[in-house]
Amino acid sequence: MPDVPHNGAYMVAAYIVTAVILLGYALSLYRRAKQP
Amino acid sequence: MSLVHKGRRITLLGLVLLAGVYVRALAFTPLERFQGPAQKIFYLHVPAAWSAMLAMGLVGLCSILYLIVKDLRFDRFAAASAEVGTAFSLVMLTTGPIWAKPIWGTWWTWDARLTLTLFLFFLFIGYLLLRGAVVEPGLRARYSAVLGICGLVLLPFIHLSVYLFRTLHPQPIVLKPSSPSLPGSMLVTLLVSFAVFTLLYVGFVTQRYALALQREAQGREHA
Repeated sequence: MPDVPHNGAYMVAAYIVTAVILLGYALSLYRRAKQP
Repeated sequence: MSLVHKGRRITLLGLVLLAGVYVRALAFTPLERFQGPAQKIFYLHVPAAWSAMLAMGLVGLCSILYLIVKDLRFDRFAAASAEVGTAFSLVMLTTGPIWAKPIWGTWWTWDARLTLTLFLFFLFIGYLLLRGAVVEPGLRARYSAVLGICGLVLLPFIHLSVYLFRTLHPQPIVLKPSSPSLPGSMLVTLLVSFAVFTLLYVGFVTQRYALALQREAQGREHA
């Protein structure tokens, strides 16, 4: 049985990137709606 | 409750549930033996691709409806969906290469599936640039509807590209004629993530649609 690859850093990077994009977009919508 | 507040509540719920997806995917879903932890990118990459395709599908449908009935609500919804789709396709196009590097040994390859999804992203960007460039609302709606329909036409080619061309990208394991080829716990995580990304799409589009209404009202006040 092969060893499980050690590539957790890629997983962490992808999860962080996704959170940044989605939270960033949510914040952008919030700020644009608040602008006079 | 106003539309913008409804959108904010749905988005907030979606973001909280997204945190739940993170916990479930990272802590309570088993590791895939051959790909290791990188396989868990799947739970974000595939739902993001689904949301981007849903967004472009609705842009296209609303574009057709706009051209038939000339109701600006369809144009407004298409514009909202295109902007939200851009965000989801950005997630798809960043998580994909991050997953590809440890598994394929390369960040990117110009095969049919990847190239067509990049083209989808450029269509979203082009759609938004076109809307920004044309000032007259009727003309803007008509031109962008044509581009939106082009995006709709692209979607089946993206889905079928893994069957039609030799590609590194795996074939669908859920959206296919036979039953999903995933262990139960992985499938549940994926389906929950699908639901949460769809909820986020609804929340974002509701907010973006409300923002367009707000801007139009401000424009009328200034005129």
